[in-house]
Amino acid sequence: MFIALIAATAATLAPAPLIKMAIDKGIVPGDLTQLNIAVAAFIGFALLLWATSAVQTYLVGWVGQRALQDLRVRIFEHLQTLSIGFYSRKQSGVLVSRMTNDVQALDQLVSDGIVTLFQATLTLVGTVVILLWLDVGLALISFIIFPLMVGASLAFRIASADAYRITREKIGAITSYLQETISGVRVVRSFGQEPRHVAAFSELNDQNRVANLKTVYLNAAYFPAIELMSAALTVAVLVYGGFQVIDGSITVGVLVAFIAALNTFFDPIGQLSQLYTTYQSGMAALDKIFELLDEEPDLVDDHRAPALPRINGAIDFEGVSFRYGEDDAGAWALRDISLKVPAGQTVALVGSTGAGKSTLAKLVARFYDPTVGSVLVDGHDLTKVRASSLRSQLGIVPQEGFLFSGSIRENIAFGRPDATDAQIADAAEAVGADVFIQEMSAGYDTEVGERGAQLSAGQRQLIAFARALIADPRILVLDEATSNVDIHTETKIEEGLRRLLAGRTAIVIAHRLSTIRSAGSIVVLEHGRIVESGTHDELIAAEGAYWRLYRDWATQAVA
Amino acid sequence: MDKRPERIHLHARFLTQGPERLLHHDNTTLCKALAIFFRLIGFLRPYRVGVIWSFVLASLAIVATVSIPWLTGAAVNQIDSGDKSSLVKIAIAIGGVSIVRLGLTVGRRIVAGRISLGVEFDLRNRLYGHLQGLELGFFDRQQTGQLMSRATVDLQSVRFFLGYGLIFLIQSALTLVIGATAMFILNPKLAAISLLPVPAVVLVARRYGIKARPALQEVQQRIAELTADAQENVSGVRVVKAFAREERQAERFRHTVTRVFDQSMYSTKLRAFYNPLIGFLPSLGLVAILYVGGRDVVNGSLTLGGFTAFYAYLLMMLGPMRTLGVALGMAQRAAASGARIFELLDREPRLVTPAGAPDLVAGAGRVEFRDVSLIYEGATENALTNIDLTVQAGTTVALVGTTASGKTTLSSLIPRLYDATSGTVLVDGVDVREVSIPSLRNSVALVTDDPFLFSETVAENITYARPDASVEEIEIAARRAQAHDFIEALPEGYNTLIGERGLTLSGGQRQRLAIARALIADPRILILDDATSSVDASTEHEIKEALRAVMEGRTTFIIAHRLSTISLADVIVVLERGRVVAHGSHDDLARESELYAAIVEKGLPDQVFLTRKPVETEVVGL
Repeated sequence: MFIALIAATAATLAPAPLIKMAIDKGIVPGDLTQLNIAVAAFIGFALLLWATSAVQTYLVGWVGQRALQDLRVRIFEHLQTLSIGFYSRKQSGVLVSRMTNDVQALDQLVSDGIVTLFQATLTLVGTVVILLWLDVGLALISFIIFPLMVGASLAFRIASADAYRITREKIGAITSYLQETISGVRVVRSFGQEPRHVAAFSELNDQNRVANLKTVYLNAAYFPAIELMSAALTVAVLVYGGFQVIDGSITVGVLVAFIAALNTFFDPIGQLSQLYTTYQSGMAALDKIFELLDEEPDLVDDHRAPALPRINGAIDFEGVSFRYGEDDAGAWALRDISLKVPAGQTVALVGSTGAGKSTLAKLVARFYDPTVGSVLVDGHDLTKVRASSLRSQLGIVPQEGFLFSGSIRENIAFGRPDATDAQIADAAEAVGADVFIQEMSAGYDTEVGERGAQLSAGQRQLIAFARALIADPRILVLDEATSNVDIHTETKIEEGLRRLLAGRTAIVIAHRLSTIRSAGSIVVLEHGRIVESGTHDELIAAEGAYWRLYRDWATQAVA
Repeated sequence: MDKRPERIHLHARFLTQGPERLLHHDNTTLCKALAIFFRLIGFLRPYRVGVIWSFVLASLAIVATVSIPWLTGAAVNQIDSGDKSSLVKIAIAIGGVSIVRLGLTVGRRIVAGRISLGVEFDLRNRLYGHLQGLELGFFDRQQTGQLMSRATVDLQSVRFFLGYGLIFLIQSALTLVIGATAMFILNPKLAAISLLPVPAVVLVARRYGIKARPALQEVQQRIAELTADAQENVSGVRVVKAFAREERQAERFRHTVTRVFDQSMYSTKLRAFYNPLIGFLPSLGLVAILYVGGRDVVNGSLTLGGFTAFYAYLLMMLGPMRTLGVALGMAQRAAASGARIFELLDREPRLVTPAGAPDLVAGAGRVEFRDVSLIYEGATENALTNIDLTVQAGTTVALVGTTASGKTTLSSLIPRLYDATSGTVLVDGVDVREVSIPSLRNSVALVTDDPFLFSETVAENITYARPDASVEEIEIAARRAQAHDFIEALPEGYNTLIGERGLTLSGGQRQRLAIARALIADPRILILDDATSSVDASTEHEIKEALRAVMEGRTTFIIAHRLSTISLADVIVVLERGRVVAHGSHDDLARESELYAAIVEKGLPDQVFLTRKPVETEVVGL
């Protein structure tokens, strides 16, 4: 690449000395042979320029696109190391914007920028040499432009850095708003609030325009200023050089060549200043990207930490307290939880909304680390083993059953991509999903749509079961879906669940009586504390919190 | 059930090809590129005055730019003849022209920048407005990321072209024309010889355009896929982490990124071949001048100054010729992006009201379905078949049936989220298709089992349908929905930020907020689609009481599986495979409908403990 760059630069520079040679040695003395030689050399260099710039465009494009590719992957991989807590603080639209709009803003910088930077710099250096060679005095006058240029660029930088940063923020806001209102389109439509969103969007859009307009003004001041300096220099050289020619201290050829060379002097300067604004806008994007890359994963998975060996699945909460957020002011989501779950047992978590059921479940999956105390699996403190080795032995079935766009097959095999078709079919059969899958026109190859939108809630639930089952986890964390399905599907889900739970340690945020009753133990949570635990019969006999919940429910039955 | 495979098929096709291709770029005809091109330029119409100004400013700046080499040539001639005072005069003239050019360029840049941002603003607003005008069915088959990409990445390349590229294009073309004219005036023979490569440049540029546009359109398409992929992974991060599939998802993402890379490299290859070629051809003109012009100077038919000026002109024209290449590249990209934007803008809304449709007349909320059938786009089987149903104002109807029996579809027809394929839906005796949509939807409120809340405060979410609601009204609605107590317990009460940027609420809390949101709209028709599924038993009991109160004087549709909720209804409608199979009171249906009897008898054997009404007899004894 560098060879191509240097060759291309040489070829760009060649015309000025060649024309000097043509005028001084060929045209003025009337020597046609010299003129012919100059013309031939000229053609040669033009061909060289053609070839080298083709090679250079390709190579530099390759490097640039490669860099963008790496950057995208790096952002993506970094995002994956960040905890769930991070995601609940950030808008997904903004994160997406980092990987798309912001990287795209760098596209111009890397694809044209690298070439421009090298070529313009080389051209500039080459031109400086040629200018000096042509005439030292004139060259020195020309160089006065450098400090002026640097000064103007610095002023521009100071003025524009902020402006460009704001443009990145505004486009991020637009992306977020778009994303949210498209995701919530059903609500927007059913309440007929389109005009309001159109107005709010227009407001964001206008902010984006105003922010960009500021960069337009700055550019409008900067570029022409550079152009003016160039023109002033041409005048200076013309007058000073002209006087010298008239005085006979230099030849006309030198002056003409010098002015020609000045053109190749200004070109790279113009290009570099153009590049500088591209750089400014690119840097604003890069800053945003780095801000994201600098986000320290708050749940650090120590790669030197040992992997969790094949586990039996005994879970032990030792004096666990937890609160969301880092400030001490936050309310405790869990207080002094001590709980032993023997391997293979199903524990049903029961309690009203906000009692801490899902928080407790999330600690088992190590989506968060306890603020106080520790969670142990088979005696291993979860903060001291690799998170991936835990999760690969853990199955999680979230309430809403998020599916990825792709086929049913891919979704079931999500946790075990190497699963064979037979294994996938077995898993589907075990949870009772095979019947509806086979009814579909494309069977297991049916596309589920974004978030599984093409399937019903019950169908998504069954696929989520199959997905958890095929991974054959030792520990299962399950948030039972509450959305109602018809009797037929209900029965299937119940059977599927039974199959799924058999022989595994399970923490279930339970809503179904059948699940709760068949659980080895029921833990009742209230305001983040365990208030009771035991089997269904024990708890009913105890006439405590569980009994009261049960009574409420029973009363409602007769209401 | 059978409607799904077809829809999925359609969806799959969309995923790979983009939304219903209205522009088939089977052939990379230049006509199509030009058509898009002119449509894009059409967006400049509101900025006519600005465009003319920037054109005038640009032309004047070009005149200034062109005159500089001419003055330089004159200066060299003065030097040659040793006239110092004339030299100084010419130098001053050059300085003056440069300052004028500065003013012109600043003006041109500001005007052009304003225009380009204005066009971007207009286009994006138009795109968003258009999206908001499209029917819900359209979004069922769309990836959010795809739509987002069109409104951001694609729009920017259009903006760059209309704002800068177009001016570059015109400016370069003008410079070339003016430069060429000046050259012809100076020396026609030399001008003709040195401009010989121009037609070749035009031909090569054209060829480049034909090849590059589809290639670039594919780049944009792949970037959109990347956006969709990134978006899905961010949304589904919990599942990815839960299964420890980070590595595999990263692998998939790398694949998507590589697809962008490969296609970008393909278009880079095209650029690497054509751009230098376009740069090379004009330098043949320089060679011609040197060879022919040099000889002319030697044999005395051309002055050295004339030669220098000529040479300077050609040098000056080299820049615009290269810029022309860059601007053409921008034009290619803009045409590619423009095609994708127009694809969306050209997608006609399929759910429209006649112009000047009257508002829905006042009424008590009588709903009538007359022989309504609905078949989803691309499906082979009806979602609803020959529904005839009249719901008297103020009554509560329970829609009961198995999954995909058409309950939600039927209720979606009332606020006209979808249009019936045949038959009519009437509200208070008026066909819903003949009244203005806002007036209709303001009269109907919908609560679903997984309600979507916006990243705003609790209060803003509740007042979604009526932003002018007073604090008292908000509180009353929240109390009725049993949401007031938990809202008060939030860190900042009603001003707590929820959703993506704020606090995460539980399913039950979200449902209660959604009920409050529906209540504040004070609709004449209320649709509760499994709206209390995530609410616990104690709360649900209270909500039920509240619901009884709010149902007073409204027509309410309840979609439910639970007898406890169904028992709120005056009339029960049993649906099966899109048909009404039974219709009547609880007692009638228990006697007459086998399906309903089954529901009652089996009583949903698996009762949700904390959220559902049990039917087991021993429980009743407790």
